[in-house]
Amino acid sequence: MKLIKSISKVVLVLTTVSLLASPLQAGAAPYEGYSYSYWGDSVSTPNAYTPAGTIDGTEQGIGKLLEPSDMYVAEDGLLYVLDAGNGRIVVFDQDWRVVREIRGFVRDGKNEKFNSPQGIYVTKHNHIYIADTENRRVVELTGEGDFVRDIGAPKSDVIRAGFEYYPIKVSVDHAGRIYVVGRGVFDGIIELDAEGNFTGFMGTNRVKFDAWDYFWKKMSTKEQRSKLEQFVPLEFNNVDLDSEGFLYTTTSELTSSDPIKRLNPVGEDVLRRQGYWFPRGDIYSMGSSESSLLIDVKVGENGVYSALDSRKGRVFTYDQDGNLLYIFGRMGEQEGTFRTPVALERRGDDFLVLDKAMNRISVFKPTRYGALINEANHLLFSGKYDEAEQKWKDLLKLDSNNEIAYVGIGKVMLRQGENKQALEYLKLGYDREYYSKAFGKYRKEIVREYFGTGMTIVIVLGVALVGFSFLRRRARGKVNADVT
Amino acid sequence: MRMLREMTKTPFYVLLHPFQGFWDLKYENKGRLRVALSMLLLLTVATILLRQYAGFVVNFNYPYDLNSINELQYIVLPFFLWCVANWSLTTLMDGEGKFKDIVMATGYALLPLILMRFGNVLISNIITTRESAFYYMIDSLSVLWFVWLLFIGTMTVHQYTVLKTIVTMLLTLVVMGIIMFLGLLFFSLLQEMIGFVVSIYNEISYRI
Repeated sequence: MKLIKSISKVVLVLTTVSLLASPLQAGAAPYEGYSYSYWGDSVSTPNAYTPAGTIDGTEQGIGKLLEPSDMYVAEDGLLYVLDAGNGRIVVFDQDWRVVREIRGFVRDGKNEKFNSPQGIYVTKHNHIYIADTENRRVVELTGEGDFVRDIGAPKSDVIRAGFEYYPIKVSVDHAGRIYVVGRGVFDGIIELDAEGNFTGFMGTNRVKFDAWDYFWKKMSTKEQRSKLEQFVPLEFNNVDLDSEGFLYTTTSELTSSDPIKRLNPVGEDVLRRQGYWFPRGDIYSMGSSESSLLIDVKVGENGVYSALDSRKGRVFTYDQDGNLLYIFGRMGEQEGTFRTPVALERRGDDFLVLDKAMNRISVFKPTRYGALINEANHLLFSGKYDEAEQKWKDLLKLDSNNEIAYVGIGKVMLRQGENKQALEYLKLGYDREYYSKAFGKYRKEIVREYFGTGMTIVIVLGVALVGFSFLRRRARGKVNADVT
Repeated sequence: MRMLREMTKTPFYVLLHPFQGFWDLKYENKGRLRVALSMLLLLTVATILLRQYAGFVVNFNYPYDLNSINELQYIVLPFFLWCVANWSLTTLMDGEGKFKDIVMATGYALLPLILMRFGNVLISNIITTRESAFYYMIDSLSVLWFVWLLFIGTMTVHQYTVLKTIVTMLLTLVVMGIIMFLGLLFFSLLQEMIGFVVSIYNEISYRI
């Protein structure tokens, strides 16, 4: 008994000590911020975003969410959550009050329900589009939940035989064109016109195979070939629209170099990849086990976009040029971690992540570090370079390894004509293109400054040399003359 | 003093007049083994300098990966491997060169590499990306010149015809590969053997 007492005493003391010793950061997160350097090494950074609560519906008095599959933030800030397990749509306002619940709709006097819907989209005019997956249709409702129309499987001659239509994600652009991501549809994104008629497939992923596979396929007989795995392109798994009507897509492929794509209206990938590494989540230099599996992409303001990794529960945010800005999140059971993250949304500067297994929405708010990056990016995007410079400088005080900040400052200094300092910053940020530009200007500066002096020295030296050798020759000639 | 002057002058003569130069090295006794070996040393130094101090626009080396010892592995080892392989081959193929001659010819042939690498260290620091083509041009030019000198050197030292020289040089590369293979085989077998002896020792020491 005494022993147990003393042991428990020791344990108590130890816990207290460890509690006191642990660094009590303001808004500590269950994960550590990191980023990738120019060399592809992961480097620690301050956390850009920290968890700020979870929403699971119980506090709002609507019962717990059940296997929610998707959500969407409308332009007026309302959040539409597709609560698939309960077969309803829940609409939250900015303060997490429930505005309304939509539990199906009335069509021709009959009640209809959703059957495990996977995707939701809300247009500017607050019309809701739902990818009603198992019912094989896309349903359009008004904001109040009244039935407008439903769009069934696309019909066309170009659609291959055996095509199964299970819409999982849906997006609608300004012109009313509807983009549907189908499960198992490797032909691309299904594009429908405003009336819901099939117009074509968009942006098919390219087939990937290596020469070795090709060799075996060539060598095998027809029967063997039919048993072999077919080379089919990978299917898209999510889609989002940016303000210009370009589609951002993700593909679940390990070790892919371009899992995120930005498709222009013709279906070409026009994503800018100017960063140190292509936007692809974690850099898997150590093998495919480190590779991310992206499941959702969300375009924010100023050309910034974020992708959600379903494998390690991380959110990667890139700027319009493809520079990695920050990473946060992880798998786990705590607040701010996920078990099965399925959807990512952005409301203002906050991030929302929907967890299908934990049946909740996690809210993330920017720290000072994250806010600085966002502000700097905003200033840069709107052309206020000088103000952005100040933000980058503040950022460097928090994280002196931030290479993007160095590049940002370097570019501003180059514009201001401070070439020598620009060189230093651009070198720290490994931006060879701009470094070279700054160096060219700096070289010109130096040459201009020292050209006069330099030329004078050269001419004087030249004259002196000629004169000296002339004198020496004469002197030698004299000596020779004396000898003879 | 005079000797030193001779020693520095000869390599440059060889550089510009390879036919006469390599002839003089061997038959007029103008070649010095010391010079050839210091060439090797200089090349190592030049390469280390280039990797460390080349200008930012052409320097893509990860500073943590730079290791001067590695240069030995990539320069000194291949050098001697070449000499040994060439010697073993040419003794069988009626070559007239002794091992010393081969080392000397190969060493003197390194001069363009040395000069241009030192030059590139300087040039790379005053060029922009747009002018980096010069850097790469000089780099490849130096390699071509080196190969040219090596070719003439081999031809002169062994008194071969052009075709035979080319064949010999290609075969030398093959022999280098074979030597490397045998070396690896030898070391891995040695490792196995040592492992075997150690395990026997351990076994016995546990029993006693």
